[in-house]
Amino acid sequence: MKSIDLITYVTFGYLACSVLYLIAQVSGSQTKTIKGWLLGALILVFALHTGAIGLRWIESYQMGIGHAPLSNLYESLVFFAWCIALALIIARFKFGMDLLVLLGLPLVTLVLASTSLMDPSIKPLIPALQSNWLIAHVITCFLGYAGFAVSFVAAILLLMARESDFFARHLPRRQTLDEIVYRSILAGFPMLTIGIITGAAWADYAWGSYWQWDPKETWSLITWLVYSAFLHARLTRGWTGRKTALLSIIGFGAVLFTYFGVNYLPGLHSYF
Amino acid sequence: MKGRVAGNSSSTEEKGSIISGIVAFFTSARTTIVLLFLLAAGSILGTIVPQTHEIGPVTSFSSRLIVILDLNNVYRSWWFSLLLVLLSFNLLGCLMERLPAIPGEWKGRSRRSTFSFKLADTRSPAKLMEILLPKLSGFMNREPERSGKGDEFVWIKDRIYLLGFPLIHIAIIVILLGGVIGLFFGYRGHVLIKEGSSAQQFSLNSGETKPLPFAISVSAFSLTRYPSGEPKEFRSDIKILENGEEVRSGSILVNHPLTYKGISLFQSDYRVVDVKEVRLTVTGQDSSKTDLLLRPQSSQQIPGTDYEARLLSLDPGTTQRGVGVDLAVNKKGEDPRSLRVYKKTGPVQLGEVQLGFADYTPLYATGLQVGYDPGTLVVWIGCGLLIIGFFLTLFTNFRRITVTFAKEETRTAIRVSCRSRSMRREFRKSVEEIIRETLQSRSAQTKMQ
Ligand code: HEM
Repeated sequence: MKSIDLITYVTFGYLACSVLYLIAQVSGSQTKTIKGWLLGALILVFALHTGAIGLRWIESYQMGIGHAPLSNLYESLVFFAWCIALALIIARFKFGMDLLVLLGLPLVTLVLASTSLMDPSIKPLIPALQSNWLIAHVITCFLGYAGFAVSFVAAILLLMARESDFFARHLPRRQTLDEIVYRSILAGFPMLTIGIITGAAWADYAWGSYWQWDPKETWSLITWLVYSAFLHARLTRGWTGRKTALLSIIGFGAVLFTYFGVNYLPGLHSYF
Repeated sequence: MKGRVAGNSSSTEEKGSIISGIVAFFTSARTTIVLLFLLAAGSILGTIVPQTHEIGPVTSFSSRLIVILDLNNVYRSWWFSLLLVLLSFNLLGCLMERLPAIPGEWKGRSRRSTFSFKLADTRSPAKLMEILLPKLSGFMNREPERSGKGDEFVWIKDRIYLLGFPLIHIAIIVILLGGVIGLFFGYRGHVLIKEGSSAQQFSLNSGETKPLPFAISVSAFSLTRYPSGEPKEFRSDIKILENGEEVRSGSILVNHPLTYKGISLFQSDYRVVDVKEVRLTVTGQDSSKTDLLLRPQSSQQIPGTDYEARLLSLDPGTTQRGVGVDLAVNKKGEDPRSLRVYKKTGPVQLGEVQLGFADYTPLYATGLQVGYDPGTLVVWIGCGLLIIGFFLTLFTNFRRITVTFAKEETRTAIRVSCRSRSMRREFRKSVEEIIRETLQSRSAQTKMQ
């Protein structure tokens, strides 16, 4: 089997998990064991996803142009989805909250499904991308983004719980959601910081300047500034609840723009 | 002092004084949040308004705005710099406010607590110490430190955590400083050097030329491609010459710069400036094929004929006609005439032979970026401090227990004050449980801050 086909199956696997989670959630009764099984299924799909990325790596070596599968939009989206899924699974074990998975999975499915619009062929690396800094850069940035994605989902849940009594009754306690909003960002922020630093190191090495205000760089800085404001608002001004949830949502908007919006502007990163 | 956080320090200052107002402004974390948002907004502007150096005629309101606010050069504009300066002062302010407290916290003298409570017991302080101290030492995995005043005992875990906050915030100042150093003392430029020649100066991005402290001599440039035709490698083989003597030699590739005396040379682009050699195929009447190699500025006898050929010009194939050459051919007793040999249109008859275009070897000029930034090292030091600071704040769990025993008339008062960075609720529960179980007392008056 080729990695591209495997990714297609994985996409449907995540879709199935999303639907089953939804059904289990709506049907309500005795869902503990069912959700346990579902979590197992999700982990299985995630393992396949991991395998598909590994397989693609091997395939590139078989083609004689071996490189980490992080070199074009298709590959980075597959990896982005992988990071979000990983963060969801970690958050599920840490906070024991199935709703997070329920709301996060459609995001994973959507990101993966969007890869069907991209050119999936394995291409040789153009000279500017042949660097180990780049691998470190992409991985750390995406792990950061994944943390922010979890925070975003929790923030949406929190706002829903605040707005309506119906949701408030069916959702986890607000304090728990608030903790998730905060802790996921606390985990994601250093990752993004290291991602920006390794990106700067790569730029310095390849282009002779660690910072060039290229739109993608600038947008990752904007994201970083927003989350830094979040942390200070929370740690020093005691902001919680709706205000920090809104900041988390704004921050994730910046993440999405860094990732998708900026590609329409010219710059060094235009090949992603 | 208890529970004092940066940001509300203004309440303790005298109202109305300008200086205290300024101090309050720069020590406030509210200022930080506002500055961070303004910087974010400014950065967004910079990605929306095109950042160019050329400005058209200043006529409309919007173009006037662009000029006043430097919107075409946001990241070097006066107001963006001002925001960064304000942020630096804000950082200094909050460091100055918080640094003095750190030695006290390090030694365990601080009263800053996440929770504290009081107990009273009828047993003597000595007896209480005897039963309580070993339990807490066991829990904290270390012996207590005894502070000078009275019967006070302090256990501190992961005190290195205290360095996280200053490291993170100093790191940002260091990084900004590195940026400023680069801005004032660094430069960037570009130089285009033909294969086989050398350069001693380069042009700055502003257009001026600047001499280099050494000469760059390019011996060869090569471009290799993947089978699919996409570029795989650009390589310039260069030598660095000082006073005509070679001091360094090496190759510059994309992602593989060469640095000499702090000046880095990067592969940035290349150009075909001339031709080294053109290869034509000469097909005789008997279909025998021979190669004819033509170099610029030299004539060559065409095999099988008494013609001589000279290269006039090369068309590198950027137009519809494709790649080809113009030749001047002549033989004794005939006027020289020109001959076009293009790859697409096929071989051309000349006397008894046919001339066909085979290929050519271009003469390249390699484009090198020249960069000098003495601030880079400072920036990397700042980044290193930042990462260490993050590591300390995230992966260490500062915990402190302070227990004071005070003899009152008929009983002993026990004060417990604790601080914990994370898992506060769990920490509190454990401490309370240990103390209650050890003292068998149900009358703990607890007070949570
Ligand atoms: C861009 C600049 C800044 C960055 C990246 C930054 C980063 C951080 C980070 C990551 C934390 C969390 C540390 C922790 O978990 O303990 C933090 C906390 C904090 N920062 Fe900043 N900071 C910046 C500027 C400032 C400024 C200008 C101030 C001045 C008021 C400030 C005051 C604080 C305070 C009071 C805390 C809380 C520390 C605690 O909870 O113990 N920060 N900062």
